[in-house]
Amino acid sequence: MNEPRNWVNKIEIDMDACKGCKTCMNACFADVIRWNDADNKPVVAYPEDCVWCLACEVACPTQCIEVIPNIPAPLRSSY
Amino acid sequence: MADTKDLGEVVATDILIIGGGIGGLVTAIKAKEENPNADVLIVEKQTTGWAGKATKIGGILAFLGPDNNADKFMDFQVRNSGFYLNDQDLLSKYVQSSYRAIENFNEWGAKLARTPDENLVIIPAFWAPEWSLTFIDIDLMLPIRTRARKMGVKFMDKIHVVDLVKQANKITGAVGFDIINGNFHIFKAKATVLANGSCGYKVRRFWIAGTGDGIAAAYRAGAEMRNAEYGNLYGHTVWQDTDSGMVGHQFLVNSLGENLTQKYLPNTGPTGVFLPVQLAIGLEKEVAEGRGPIYFEPPPSTGPGFPPMDLPKLNDWQRCTAEKESKYGLPPTVKREIGVPLHGETSCIKVDHEMRTSLEGLWAIGDTSYAGSAVAGAVASPPGVTPGSGIMYAVISAGWAGPSAARYAKEASTSDIDYAETKNLEEEIFSPMQSGNNFLPGDAINTLQEVTAPIKYNLRRSRERLNEALIRLEELKVKIPHLKAKDYHYLSKCHEVKSMVLCAELTFRAALMREESRGSHFREDYPKRIDENWLKWIILKQDGGRMKLATQSVPIDKYEIKPND
Repeated sequence: MNEPRNWVNKIEIDMDACKGCKTCMNACFADVIRWNDADNKPVVAYPEDCVWCLACEVACPTQCIEVIPNIPAPLRSSY
Repeated sequence: MADTKDLGEVVATDILIIGGGIGGLVTAIKAKEENPNADVLIVEKQTTGWAGKATKIGGILAFLGPDNNADKFMDFQVRNSGFYLNDQDLLSKYVQSSYRAIENFNEWGAKLARTPDENLVIIPAFWAPEWSLTFIDIDLMLPIRTRARKMGVKFMDKIHVVDLVKQANKITGAVGFDIINGNFHIFKAKATVLANGSCGYKVRRFWIAGTGDGIAAAYRAGAEMRNAEYGNLYGHTVWQDTDSGMVGHQFLVNSLGENLTQKYLPNTGPTGVFLPVQLAIGLEKEVAEGRGPIYFEPPPSTGPGFPPMDLPKLNDWQRCTAEKESKYGLPPTVKREIGVPLHGETSCIKVDHEMRTSLEGLWAIGDTSYAGSAVAGAVASPPGVTPGSGIMYAVISAGWAGPSAARYAKEASTSDIDYAETKNLEEEIFSPMQSGNNFLPGDAINTLQEVTAPIKYNLRRSRERLNEALIRLEELKVKIPHLKAKDYHYLSKCHEVKSMVLCAELTFRAALMREESRGSHFREDYPKRIDENWLKWIILKQDGGRMKLATQSVPIDKYEIKPND
């Protein structure tokens, strides 16, 4: 059995640059990013579910997110 | 007396749309256009306007262009892609509706590819005759969401709708939970539209949102399914390119340098972007016989061949992706080895020409019903040799369902939701939170993928191997009651597992029944197409807790395009 690794190695957010607009959380179609209401900042809550679609990184108005992928792709073999 | 509002938040609406991707949004707009006074609510598991598959990779839209011949396209599509399992009346309706959908995008403010003199970019689709394609920017849903909001459509996000509720044979709403705080929600609706996608078993990264939740809910409620055996495309992807590439299977070679398209598909016409069945099986054979791995070796000049387009968000995304692959990927000197992932697209809810399911009060659009509508025939959605139809089918089918649901809701009354049934559903939904459970959803997904992903089960099918797959699914089903959710995010995942297991069973049971080979269904023990026995659709439904299968003859006599013409 080949057990796929996670698609993503790391998700880094520069919290000082973040303006708290929630675009990253809304853009995520995998519920990876949640929100910390106390300090109005994102939380990378479920990085294991990130597939680096890059919607958050591309949409962030202050470009404070960097998603670092795992390559080669951890796809399940069909053979 | 016990009341359903004691169980959770009760929300009443005229039209409930489950799924806030492109199909759900357009259904809402079309319903509002039909009846501006209707209350329309979209409930989405993630965030409406960002959810689903439409924003991933960059929208290719395939359609009947002004210079295309509809009859010739239909003829190609039925003979070479659908293999006579198409509902030809619906396919014709789809083809004729396609250019209007392109105009709709423009009216809604989504950015389409334009030439320097502001004309729509129209390129011949290289995978089918008499068919065209254009491109749309990947933020296409945001202006459409804004438009829906201005029309009065309401949104509730981060709510996973698990089950439909019904009285007699009529759907009267749905239940689900908030994936952040766990609150239980009860939706009462006159009309309910499923718009939450197909099932891809979480194999490919851009398609992980498709977990078949709507299909499973409809099946459990008693809706009929059709064409479940057709959910099994396979793509090829270069590991270093990270599962986004799909084009160029004519450049696949084995470790001896033999071209495999020439070896397995000599003298064929257009074969689309997904792997043709014989080629995919050929790749498996090459590896099994020691001539692997398979490499992708395009000539240096080969590129996508598309013109540069003024689609800023798509351009940003492509640039960002290329930077990641360059920075974190393998160096260009490494040979480009491919994988052959399952591109699951189980989309089997049976619908009529207005996207009505077999249950009163329930519609199903987009990738919940692409195969089930029979518009595509014997191939998974998007039709294997005519890609570019995922967004288009969602929008076109929404254009049929929205007005139909609005007209129905205008005449219907709101039904009460049964307390005891709702209480049972609530207990079932939250059961993975029980402390004694120990089966993690990630482990369940791994086990499920071991059954759904292999070519030997899902493409090179046989009675023996399909039975083996079903036995492995049964072993997994035994463990489903022990699924463990440590929080509401994982509770959502547990229900995704349940949905996907059900979709897999629908697929394999239908595939076992179809004792022939047709389209993307290939049986090694029945390798020929058998029109005398199998111009039939396989219909599945729940009956007394069991999966019941039947057949329905394709009305080929009334259709224009027939075998052996």
